[in-house]
Amino acid sequence: MATVQICEAEKVYIMHGVRDDLRIDGRACDDYRHMEVETDVVSNTDGSARVKMGDTDILVGIKAEMGRPRPLIPDEGYLEFFVDCSANATPEFEGRGGEELGSEISSTLYKMFQNRSSLDLRALCIVPREHCWVLYVDVLLLQCDGNLLDATSIAVKAALFSTRIPKVHVSEDDEGGKELEISDDPYDCMRLQVEDVPCIVTLSKIGHRHVVDATLQEAACSMASLIIAVTHKGNVTCVRKVGGGSLDPESIFEMTETGKRVGKALHAPLMKLLQEEEVLGKRRQKVGFLG
Amino acid sequence: MAGLELLSDQGYRLDGRKPSELRKVQARMGIFTRADGSAYIEQGNTKALAVVYGPHEVRGSRSKTLHDRAVINCQYSMATFSTAERKRRPHGDRKSSEMSLHLKQTFEAAILTQLYPRSQIDIYVKILQSDGGNYSACVNAATLAVIDAGIPIRDYVCACSAGFVEDTPLVDLCHAEETGSGTAVALALLPRGGQIALLQMDARLHQDHLDPVMEAAMTACRSLGQVLDGVVRQHLQEVSILTGE
Amino acid sequence: MLKSKTFLKKTRSGRVLKVVREHYLRDDIWCGSELCVECRQESPPPPVLQRDACRESSLCASRHYIIPDTNVVLHQIDILEDPLINNVIILQTVLQEVRHRSAPIYKRIKDVIHNASKHFYTFTNEHHRETFIEREQGESANDRNDRAIRTAARWYSEHLKKAPDGEELQVILLTDDKGNREKAEGCGVIAYKCEEYIKSLIGSPELMDRLALCTDDANEITSSKILFPEHLPLSRIQAGIKSGTFLQGVFRASRDNYLEATVFVQGDGDDGTEILIQGLQNLNRAVHQDLVAVELLPRNLWVTPSSVVLVDEGPKGDEDGDGDEEEQKMLKCDASESMLKPTGKIVGIIKRNWRPFCGMLSRSEIKEATRHLFTPADRRIPRIRIETRQASALMGQRIMVAIDGWPKSSRYPNGHFVRSLGSAGDKETETEVLLLEHDVPHQPFSQAVLSFLPKMPWAIAEEDMRNRVDLRKLCVCSVDPPGCTDIDDALHCRDLGNGNLEVGVHIADVSHFIRPGNTLDQEAASRGTTVYLCEKRIDMVPELLSSNLCSLRCNVDRLAFSCIWEMNHNAEIISTRFTKSVINSKASLTYAEAQLRIDDTNMNDDVTRSLRGLNALAKILKKRRIDKGALTLSSPEVRFHMDSETHDPIDLQAKELKETNSLVEEFMLLANISVAQKIYDEFSECALLRKHPAPPPSNYDILSKAAKAKGLVIRTDSAKALADSLDMAQVEGFSYFNTLLRILGTRCMMQAVYFCSGMDSDFHHYGLASPIYTHFTSPIRRYADIIVHRLLAVAIGADCTYSDLMDKHKQAALCNNLNYRHKMAQYAQRASVAFHTQLFFKSRGIQNEDGYILFVRKNAIIVLIPKFGLEGTVFFENKEKRGPRLLFDEEVPSLTVEGHTFNMFDRVKVTISLDASNIQHQKIRMALLEPVYRREHVPKRTTGGCAEVTREVKCINSS
Repeated sequence: MATVQICEAEKVYIMHGVRDDLRIDGRACDDYRHMEVETDVVSNTDGSARVKMGDTDILVGIKAEMGRPRPLIPDEGYLEFFVDCSANATPEFEGRGGEELGSEISSTLYKMFQNRSSLDLRALCIVPREHCWVLYVDVLLLQCDGNLLDATSIAVKAALFSTRIPKVHVSEDDEGGKELEISDDPYDCMRLQVEDVPCIVTLSKIGHRHVVDATLQEAACSMASLIIAVTHKGNVTCVRKVGGGSLDPESIFEMTETGKRVGKALHAPLMKLLQEEEVLGKRRQKVGFLG
Repeated sequence: MAGLELLSDQGYRLDGRKPSELRKVQARMGIFTRADGSAYIEQGNTKALAVVYGPHEVRGSRSKTLHDRAVINCQYSMATFSTAERKRRPHGDRKSSEMSLHLKQTFEAAILTQLYPRSQIDIYVKILQSDGGNYSACVNAATLAVIDAGIPIRDYVCACSAGFVEDTPLVDLCHAEETGSGTAVALALLPRGGQIALLQMDARLHQDHLDPVMEAAMTACRSLGQVLDGVVRQHLQEVSILTGE
Repeated sequence: MLKSKTFLKKTRSGRVLKVVREHYLRDDIWCGSELCVECRQESPPPPVLQRDACRESSLCASRHYIIPDTNVVLHQIDILEDPLINNVIILQTVLQEVRHRSAPIYKRIKDVIHNASKHFYTFTNEHHRETFIEREQGESANDRNDRAIRTAARWYSEHLKKAPDGEELQVILLTDDKGNREKAEGCGVIAYKCEEYIKSLIGSPELMDRLALCTDDANEITSSKILFPEHLPLSRIQAGIKSGTFLQGVFRASRDNYLEATVFVQGDGDDGTEILIQGLQNLNRAVHQDLVAVELLPRNLWVTPSSVVLVDEGPKGDEDGDGDEEEQKMLKCDASESMLKPTGKIVGIIKRNWRPFCGMLSRSEIKEATRHLFTPADRRIPRIRIETRQASALMGQRIMVAIDGWPKSSRYPNGHFVRSLGSAGDKETETEVLLLEHDVPHQPFSQAVLSFLPKMPWAIAEEDMRNRVDLRKLCVCSVDPPGCTDIDDALHCRDLGNGNLEVGVHIADVSHFIRPGNTLDQEAASRGTTVYLCEKRIDMVPELLSSNLCSLRCNVDRLAFSCIWEMNHNAEIISTRFTKSVINSKASLTYAEAQLRIDDTNMNDDVTRSLRGLNALAKILKKRRIDKGALTLSSPEVRFHMDSETHDPIDLQAKELKETNSLVEEFMLLANISVAQKIYDEFSECALLRKHPAPPPSNYDILSKAAKAKGLVIRTDSAKALADSLDMAQVEGFSYFNTLLRILGTRCMMQAVYFCSGMDSDFHHYGLASPIYTHFTSPIRRYADIIVHRLLAVAIGADCTYSDLMDKHKQAALCNNLNYRHKMAQYAQRASVAFHTQLFFKSRGIQNEDGYILFVRKNAIIVLIPKFGLEGTVFFENKEKRGPRLLFDEEVPSLTVEGHTFNMFDRVKVTISLDASNIQHQKIRMALLEPVYRREHVPKRTTGGCAEVTREVKCINSS
C-alpha cells in the first residue's frame, strides 16, 4: 500500500547512506523532515489540524457529538477514529482501495489512546451513564510520502489541542428529568488537556541501523519497523512491530531507546508552536491550502 | 422557528450579499507535488480539493479502454467532517456516485480526449468543507487541476448554482439558501462558446422562472471564469519566476 | 463581480451541530437620509428619511430621527403606527429580533416600513462595515444586540454630522432599558425612555393614551395581592407537553359565562377533544384564542358545563372582586356522573393571540381618575384596564384597545387606547365595528392596487380576442336580484335544429383583468370574498371591475368565460365545451321580471323563448338532482325595506323564492360541477374544489327527537333518505311544520369548505349529492372562482400557467384563508342583520307576533318568528330573583314551567321590543304572551332575562 518500487542499485545506495548516517535527502538517521503544522483549518469542525511532513500531507478534523457513555466505563466519554485514505493521495486508493491501510492506522490510533494517561476522558462525560461527548477524530490522507503514522499522530494531537467543545449546563427538573442546555456563547467552551497525548515515532530498520521518518523510498528498503508511542515525558504507551521482516531483541531495545529520545524531543517544539498559534488567536493569518 | 428570511426587503441575502453577487472565491493550483495536477478552491465556506492523475495507461480491466479517446475517471468524495452533521462514509453513497457521474460527463465535454486514445485520466475531488454549491466548487477546482496537469481543454469549465427566492434569482447559494429556497439549479458552462456542459435541477421550478434563473447562473459562471483565468495566470507567473525565467 | 470587503465568520452552535455561516460586511449600504451626500451610489432609491424631520418636542428642539430598540417596537407598535411618528430608522438587528419574538408585530412594522408617507428606513446595520460588531467574551446575545443598536445609533449621529447642514440633525435612541440608556449616553448617543419622549411631544397629547403600559408601571396600579397562579415558563410547558402531563390547545372563552371556557385540543386528523375550564383561578388570565397549556384535574374535580348565563359586571365595590367568589359558587350544580366533562386548569400560555379589540369605555366612578375599564364588544374578551385622560371625550364612543399584559396581581389585563371609531349606535360606527370584529378588510383600495386596473375608456382590443370566440350574436340574458350591479352570470338557450338544445352559461371573465401575482390580485386573494351587509357591499375587487367592466350588463360587449352544453330535451348532456368568449347580453332581468316573461303567454321574443327553454330544462335537472339525494333545506332569509331618505329599515320581510331563482341556480350548479370535473381531470394535484362533508350521525339527534314528538320518523342514514323522509314529514293542519323541520335540518349540517385536490381524498358534496364540486360562477365576488377560472383557462389552452397555481401547498394555504374569510363574512352578515333588526324594532316599538318554539333549553325556549325570520330566546329565570319552577326533560326535549310544558314546534305568541339599556349590546327582548303560565310574565324586565337575537342567513346549498 502506498509504496514505490525501486531497483536494487537504488536500494544499495540508500542502505550505504544510512550506514554512514547520511540519508539521500541529507538528513541524519534520527532527523525528521521539515514539518508544517497548522490548526483550525476547517471552520465547521470543533477542532482541526493539517500536518505536512515532506510530501506527506494529512488533515484531521474533530467533531464532538453527544452520545451515551460505554456501559463499562459510565463516567467517561470516548474517541472514535476514522482514517480516510482518499484517492487524492494515490489512485491506488480509489474506491475501496484505501480501506485496509485506513483501518490499520485507525487501529493503531485506538491502541495509542487506550490508556488513562493519554487523555482525560472523564472530562468528556456530561451526565454519567446518560450523556457524554464522543469525539469523532477523522483523519484524511491527502498525499503520502512515507511515515504516515508519525504525521497522523502529530496532526491528531494538534487537532485535539485546538478542539473547543461547547459547555453544557445540566439542570434538573422536579421529576428528576435532566435537561441539557448548550451554551449559546461561542466563547463558553471546554478545552482538552493534550500535554500527555503521545506521538508516534516509527523506526525503520535499514541494514543494521534504523532511521526515523522514513520516506517512501527508504521504507521500500526496510524489512521491518517498530512503532512507539511516546509522551512528552518519555513514557511509552504503545509499541508495535510492523512489516514483514523480523527484528532481534537487541535492536528492538536500541530502537526503543532512540524512539524515546526522538519522541520526547518532538513534543516540545510542537507544543510551543501550538501555543504560539493560540496566543495569536483571531489575528493569526490562516494559510490553509492557499499558502 | 420562524424560518430564515433568505432575502430581506432591502435586497440583502442572509450573509449580506446581493442576489447576483458571488461569494468570495480563492483558489490555488499546484498544491501537491506527487500528483500530475492539483488545485484547491474556496467559494465562501465551501472548500474543495482536486487532483488529476494522467493521462496514463488504463488501470484495471482492459475492457474499459477506448480506442479513439481517453477514459475520464472521476471520483467525488466528501471529508467525513465536511458537513454540519458528520458523514459516516466519505464516498460510495448514492449521492456521491451521482456526483462522480456528473463530473465525468462535464469533463468529457471539456477535455480534448481524442488526443489521448487508449489512456485514462483520473480526476479526484474532495470536499473538505461543505456550505452549498459542492458540485460547482468541484467542477471549478477540477478545471484548475486539469489545467495544472497540462491536459488540453476546450475552455474553462465554470460551474455555479442558482436558486429562486421571492421572484428573484439568487446565485452561488450557500447551504442555508440551498435548503431553504427549495429549488437549486446547478449549471456548468464553457463560457467562451456559451455552451452548457451540465444543467441539473432537482426540485420543482415553474417554467416561467427557469429562464431568469439560468440567465443569472450563466452570468455568474462567466464572472467565475474570469476569476479562474486570473488564478491560472498568476500561477504561471509564480512558476516562471521559480524556474528562473 | 463584487467581492466582500471584509470577511468575518459567525459561529452558531445549535444543539451539537456547529453551523458556520459567512457574514459579509459591505461599505455600500446607504444611510437613507436625504441630507447625506456621502454614501449615495449610482441609481439610488429615493431617500427615505427626510431633510426636515420635524416633530416638536420639548426634549429635543431640533430636527431628529428616531431609532427604537427591539422592546420599543414590540410594545409600542401602536405609537409607531401613528401618522405623527415618522422618520424612524429601524435597524436590521431590531427587525430580526422582532421577527423572532412576534410574527404579528413583525408584520405590522413591515407594513409601516412599506408605507412611504411614514418615512421609516430599514438600515442593514449587521452588514455595514462600520456598524457590525462581534460578540465579545462573556457577552449575552441580548447584550450584544443592544450594543449593536448603540453602535449603529452612534454611527448615524456621527455620519449625519458630516453631511452639509447636518450638524443640528440629531439621532435619538428610544429604549426603556435603563442600563442600555446609560451606556448609550456614555458613548455620546442621545437616548430617552419611550414614554418620556412621547410625553415631550408638543401638540399631541392623545398619543400618550396609546402608550403601552410597561410592566413596572403596571405593578403600581394594582394591589400587590396575588390573584392568579404563576404561568409556567415555556421550557417547562414544552417538557410537560412532551411527557403528556400538559395538553396544548386553543382557548375558547364562553360567550355566555365569563367564568367558563373550553380548550380545544387538536387530536389526530380532524377530531379533537374539548377540556372544560371553570373559575377565574383555573382560567388563569388566558384570553380567547390564546394557545395555552392545560393540566387536567383529577376526575373527582370534574364538573359539567353550567347552563347559567353570567356576565362580568365589573367591579362591585371592591375592585378585586369578592363578588366573583359568589358567582363561582353559582357554577356548581349537581349533575349525574355521565354529564361530567374533562376539566382542567391553565398552567401557562404558549402564545398570546391578542389583537386590538373594539368596545366601549366604562367610566371610573372617581371623577378625575385616569384609569378606566374598557368593555369589549366581544363578550368572550375580558374587560381591559386602560389609562386615558380623555375619558369624558371617549364616553359613548366605540374605541379600539390593545392588551399590553396581564400581571398576576391584576383582576383585569392592562391595555392602552388605540383609536376611536365614532359614537356608538351610529350606523357607520357600528358597521365599522362589525367589520373590524370580523376581520373583514374594508379599507379603500390602495393606489398600488388601483394602478393595475385597465385604463378608461376601455374597449375590447384586438389582442383581447385571441383565444376567444365571438358570441355577441347569441341571445344572452341575465337574471339577478333587484338592484344587483355586479352581474356574474348570464345564460342562453337555443334550438340547434337537430332536435337538441344548446345551453350556455356565461361567467364574467374576471381573470382576464386580474393577472396573477400583482398587487390587485394579492388584495383580492387576501379579501377572498365580497361581503354583503344590509346596505353596504365590501367589494373584493375595485368597483370599476365589479360594477362595470366585469359586470355582464345588457347591451354592452363584455368578456366572458362560457360553458356551453349540447343537451337533448330530456336535459341529458350530449357534449360540454368551455371557451373564453365575448358576449352582448340582451337583457338584465330581475327574478320577478323573468318570471313574468315566462308566465306571460303573449310574449314570444327571443329572450322569453330562451328563458322558457331554460326553465323547462331546469325543472328536469332539479328533479333529477333531488332524486339523487340533494337536500332542500330551509333557512329563513329576510330583506329589509329601507327608507330612501334616512336609510333606516322600515319593513322586514322574509325572502320569497320564485321559480326563476331555481332556474338560475340549477344551471350554475351544472356549470360548477362540469368545471370541477374538467379541472380535476386536468390537474389532479392542484384543482381547487369545494366539499361538504357528511355530518356525524349525532348531529341529527335533535331533528329525530323533534320529529318523534310528532310521531314521525326521520331517516338520516343517507342524504337521499333524509331528503325523502323530510318530504314525507307532514302534519295535518300545520303547514309550517315541514319548513320548521328543514330549518332544523340546516343546523345539523357541516360547513362546506374549499380545498386543494392534492391535499385531500374526500371530495363529496353532501348537500348537493355530487361527487365533485367547485365554484366557477361568481368570480366578481369570490376569489376561489378566479383561481378556478385560471385553472380552466390553462386546461383549455386559453391562458398560461404560473408557478403558484401549480403549488398545492400554496393553494392549500389560500384555501384556508378563503374558508376563514367566508366564515367571517357570514358572521359579519349575520351581525349586520341583527343590527338592522334592532334599528327596525327601535323605530317600531313593541310588537306582538306569532312564533314557534325552535329549541327547548334548560332555562329558556328559543322562538322563531316566521314573519321576520327572527329568532330569540325567552328566559324563564334570572339570576337576581328566584325564577319559576322549571323541569327540563332532555329526552323529549321539553321544559315544564310551573306546570305548563313547552315542546318543540309549539306555537306561541311573544312580544318583541328593543332593550337599549346597554348601549354597547342593544338587545331584542322577547317575552311570552301566550300560553300563559302561572307567574308574572308580561313584557317587563321581571321575567324575561335577556334575550339575544340570532339569525340564520346561512344557505348551504347555493353558497
